[in-house]
Amino acid sequence: MYSKWTTRLIIGLTLTFLIGPFFIIILAGLSDGEFMTFPPDGISLRWYAKVFTVESFRDSFKLSMFLAIFGTIAALILGVPAAYAISRYKIPYGETIKTIVAAPIIVPGIIVGLALLRYLVVPLNFTVTLALFMAHTALILPYAVRVVSSSMNNLRSDMEEAAVLLGCSRLGAFTRVVLPNIQSGVLAAFILGFVTSFNQVPVSLFLSGPGVRTLPIDMLSYMEITYDPSVAALSALLALLSVVIVFMAEKFLGFSRYV
Amino acid sequence: MSDAYVSLKNLTLAYGKTVVVPDLNLDVRKGELIALLGPSGCGKTTAMRSIAGLMAPKSGTISIDGVDITRTPANKRGIGLVFQSYALFPHLSVFENVAFGLRLKKLPKAKIASMVEQGLQTVGLAHLSDRKPEDMSGGQQQRLSLARSLVMEPKVLLLDEPLSNLDARLRLEMRNELQRLQRDTGITMIFVTHDQAEALALADRIVLMKDGIVEQLGTPDELYNAPNSKFAADFFGFENIFEIEGSEIVGRTGRLTVLIDAKEGYLAWRPSAITIGSGPHQGTISSMAFAGELREYIIEAPLGQIKVTTPSSTPPFDIGSPIAFDLAIDKARHLSKNGEET
Repeated sequence: MYSKWTTRLIIGLTLTFLIGPFFIIILAGLSDGEFMTFPPDGISLRWYAKVFTVESFRDSFKLSMFLAIFGTIAALILGVPAAYAISRYKIPYGETIKTIVAAPIIVPGIIVGLALLRYLVVPLNFTVTLALFMAHTALILPYAVRVVSSSMNNLRSDMEEAAVLLGCSRLGAFTRVVLPNIQSGVLAAFILGFVTSFNQVPVSLFLSGPGVRTLPIDMLSYMEITYDPSVAALSALLALLSVVIVFMAEKFLGFSRYV
Repeated sequence: MSDAYVSLKNLTLAYGKTVVVPDLNLDVRKGELIALLGPSGCGKTTAMRSIAGLMAPKSGTISIDGVDITRTPANKRGIGLVFQSYALFPHLSVFENVAFGLRLKKLPKAKIASMVEQGLQTVGLAHLSDRKPEDMSGGQQQRLSLARSLVMEPKVLLLDEPLSNLDARLRLEMRNELQRLQRDTGITMIFVTHDQAEALALADRIVLMKDGIVEQLGTPDELYNAPNSKFAADFFGFENIFEIEGSEIVGRTGRLTVLIDAKEGYLAWRPSAITIGSGPHQGTISSMAFAGELREYIIEAPLGQIKVTTPSSTPPFDIGSPIAFDLAIDKARHLSKNGEET
């Protein structure tokens, strides 16, 4: 096959391709100059500091956090029972329902965004925040259903029957026996949903209004006016946040089993 | 039966439109160990699930100690079930598995602790109470499952294929354990099995089922020595069964005249009831298998194939050699045709 050095070279290039941009962004944010350049124009932390003083960043960060956390929770509230029903019972059209649930990932985000704008916000007068919340919930739902049902599939139904025969109600069997055993699947779904929502651009792009923008959208529009290194600094901080979340998920939950 | 403790009356069980058990009647006495025996698909597991309340019967009644429980939900019946897969709770320790049902009863903590302790003691797992089920052997898991049901002091304990997942040595151990438990606690047990040896060794009475119908009900002795149908005879080791027509019996490839009183039904021989080496009939040995205490022969005769066993302490016959054999009428069991499909 390949020699040892060729193999190393291929691996090295692949990693550079994957992780390289990340380092460029970190370094670009460390620049002391007024514009985003690479290699950086001197070294300083002032752009990293500036990120925290820009008010629109703070507002959009709050909105993005709100959407990621509550959108994911809403998706889990809908998704866990759905996953349970799909994997436990032979419900009519079960496969169809699975496909429909997966639709928001398959359909391009641009289309989802446009559709929600055209049919929810404009004619029904939904507020942009509500539309965003619904859109993010819908986008996270497929992940919630898939991840949770894969951990549900390993769970035998006779465990619930055993709980019932020991005196549990059906609901009691679900909360006392099913939930504790799919806990790590639910947490994995939460993290995956959170990251998906936080990084969402195309749908959110359509559902932005005056003063209501998610963080990625706000960064885009900031850059159109001001091409300073603060966006690079913010990007680096967000990337680090994602890395920390995924690293912790892997460490504590064995996250990669579910994805 | 007036002393019936568990009583099934005209029980009809169906999955959707598929009727699995058409009309089951069964009375079990208090403290009895009953085996529901039959091939897979005979309705034995379905019957057990309906007693547990995991399946609602289409019609008929189930009563325990004179109380109709047909409509009582499973969690209020006070019936224990040891699942074939054990169905332990993997997120809970051994102690908590056993305490599960007791905690739901909201008993005082100290009482729960002592009951769990005693329950684990009964099945010999007291030293493992902090383990997780996954860290235990199959035999230990089953005893844990048993303890979990027993501490609830169920009126009836159901067991689904209790010995089938265990190796030969553990099987014997568990069998003795179940018999001891039943003696000590006097609990009424109904277990489901497809293994006739298991049923014979363990049960007070055996309910042999076929296609949802009770084929024969009796003590192990009765079923083994006096099966009264072709199906029962076949299930309990009468491997040579021939239909009677007039004064002849009919095999697959020929007929044989025999001196019998009966004009119809079947004649059945166990492989051990046929003598070879001498006798009025001739055949050829087509195969031989060594099975420890016995040698198993298949003989090709004009009548058809005949299965014979001889003690392995006697010298073997050669494969391919001609052999004389005797189908002695006094060693055959006559089976009437009643209850058989025609």
